[in-house]
Amino acid sequence: MKSWLLLPLVIVLVIAGYFLPQWLSPFHVRVVQFFFFAAALAVAWNILGGFSGYWSFGHTAFIGIGAFAAAHFSMRIGMFGAQPFSIVVPIIIGGLVSAIVAAIIAYPILRLRGIYFAIAMLGVGQVFAELANNIRWFQGGVGLFVTAPMPPGVPPERFYYYVFGILLAITFVTSVAVRYSRLGAGLIAIREDEDTAGMLGVPAERYKIAAFVISASLVGMLGAAYAFSVGYFTTSTVFRIDFSLNMIVYSLIGGLGTLFGPVIGAAIMLFVTQVLLSHLLEVHLLITGLIVVTIVLVIPKGILGTLSDAMQRRRSVDRGKAQPVGEAR
Amino acid sequence: MSGEPVISGRGVTKHFKGLAAIDGVDFAVPAGSIHGLIGPNGAGKSTLFNLITGYYPLTSGEIYFQGQRIDALPTYKRNQLGIARAFQISKPFPALTVRENVGIGAMFGRPERSDSSAVTDAALEITGLTEFADRTAEGLTVGTLRKLEIARAFATRPAVLLADEPCAGLNPFETEAMVACLRRIRDHGVAIWLVEHDMRAVMSVCEHIIVIEAGRKIAEGSPQTVANDPAVIEAYLGAPVEDEDADEEADNARP
Repeated sequence: MKSWLLLPLVIVLVIAGYFLPQWLSPFHVRVVQFFFFAAALAVAWNILGGFSGYWSFGHTAFIGIGAFAAAHFSMRIGMFGAQPFSIVVPIIIGGLVSAIVAAIIAYPILRLRGIYFAIAMLGVGQVFAELANNIRWFQGGVGLFVTAPMPPGVPPERFYYYVFGILLAITFVTSVAVRYSRLGAGLIAIREDEDTAGMLGVPAERYKIAAFVISASLVGMLGAAYAFSVGYFTTSTVFRIDFSLNMIVYSLIGGLGTLFGPVIGAAIMLFVTQVLLSHLLEVHLLITGLIVVTIVLVIPKGILGTLSDAMQRRRSVDRGKAQPVGEAR
Repeated sequence: MSGEPVISGRGVTKHFKGLAAIDGVDFAVPAGSIHGLIGPNGAGKSTLFNLITGYYPLTSGEIYFQGQRIDALPTYKRNQLGIARAFQISKPFPALTVRENVGIGAMFGRPERSDSSAVTDAALEITGLTEFADRTAEGLTVGTLRKLEIARAFATRPAVLLADEPCAGLNPFETEAMVACLRRIRDHGVAIWLVEHDMRAVMSVCEHIIVIEAGRKIAEGSPQTVANDPAVIEAYLGAPVEDEDADEEADNARP
């Protein structure tokens, strides 16, 4: 790893990210803002789904929980801190409540494997949506107003551009930290073969729960920020099956279980759907669906997975020339 | 038999819906020895290993590791104490390289503070996998996968290694290499309990053999004792019949 390149690269990225909105139209700032949001969701989903192989089809539950927690907190308890930072506490509350809910449901639900876990999570998303909608106290049916005071002179799309940019950075750094820790190695082993992982000393149960809670808390924070960015939301604004599916699709397209895959997947899909197809609203979803089907058929390992496979093949071909690989000696 | 047993069991029993897969088996594997576990197909050898590693819960009985009762512990804790298992059907982590596969064992396993990359290298070395270290496990040959099973288990720094048919599917040449590898592992102070159908391998390498049939222990002792035990011969070849043809049949049906 050329790690000395990393620091200057990060500095350039941060500076470019800071000045970018000045050069873009408000519409495009909003597109990039939505890209940050979508990419961060996919990265957070990938910590559970990509690393450990537990595909959640109901991660929108944590967007909703984060949104409702933040909204009720700021409505009933209030906002803390000076203007640009008053949004911080509700976002943390959104992450915290999501994490607590995830920790409570983790133990029973993570006993299910494969498709059963996926379907159970689909149900979890549905259950929380119904609760938010039908329990009057939550006000999911009539909707909630949430606004954060803007710093003077900053238009909202730019403010939320920065909010989601920072959240993407936090999510991405968390994902990298998980991947290169013992936890990450254990999750990969669980994905590859959970029983064998246990035989090799990986505390599978504990690790799965940790990944689930980390993933849910990040998504909860994003949900809280999303609630503020839209200003008014109902149950159906935040509990959306397409949110859940997009997290999976972006990860799949970019490369499941890779660090950059979900970001690349989100970038490609949003570029295609928001920019290229923005004038073709009638066929927009049709073409999106076609792209997904094509990618899954042609490169099931995603863009990064396919690239690394190709590199691996080239390396082993090179080695094969140097010395023939024999089995028995 | 000398020394404290590293693992032992008393009255180990497992019922699957009323069927006794393992029925009251006692065993003791002394530290640093190579033990054998043999029996006809379906006798319950793999099931017994599954009970020791905690893949299945016991119906009754007790299992001890170095005197500590372990039959209620989850699988990963038993491994962290020092029980490793190499599977009969190789279960590599297919998307990972050989080194990463072994690295998982080294990183987890017995939590003694040591350099996991050094442990990984040692495990690759002892099994002769160093040249395959950077290949993905997917697409390795049977022989290499068998070595990988052993390397990964060894990397967890076990006190006892349960090796479930490590020579299955190997040619005589590779079998010999595997037996030598098991001896080297034993010389590192790891007790080995070996399930194996290759009788020549078992007889040559084991100091003590336990024979089970239909879930019950029918014999145990040194390789010679076991090989001449009438119960064992009966289990493998069938009961003697007062008939001239029987001898001929017995000659043809080699274990």
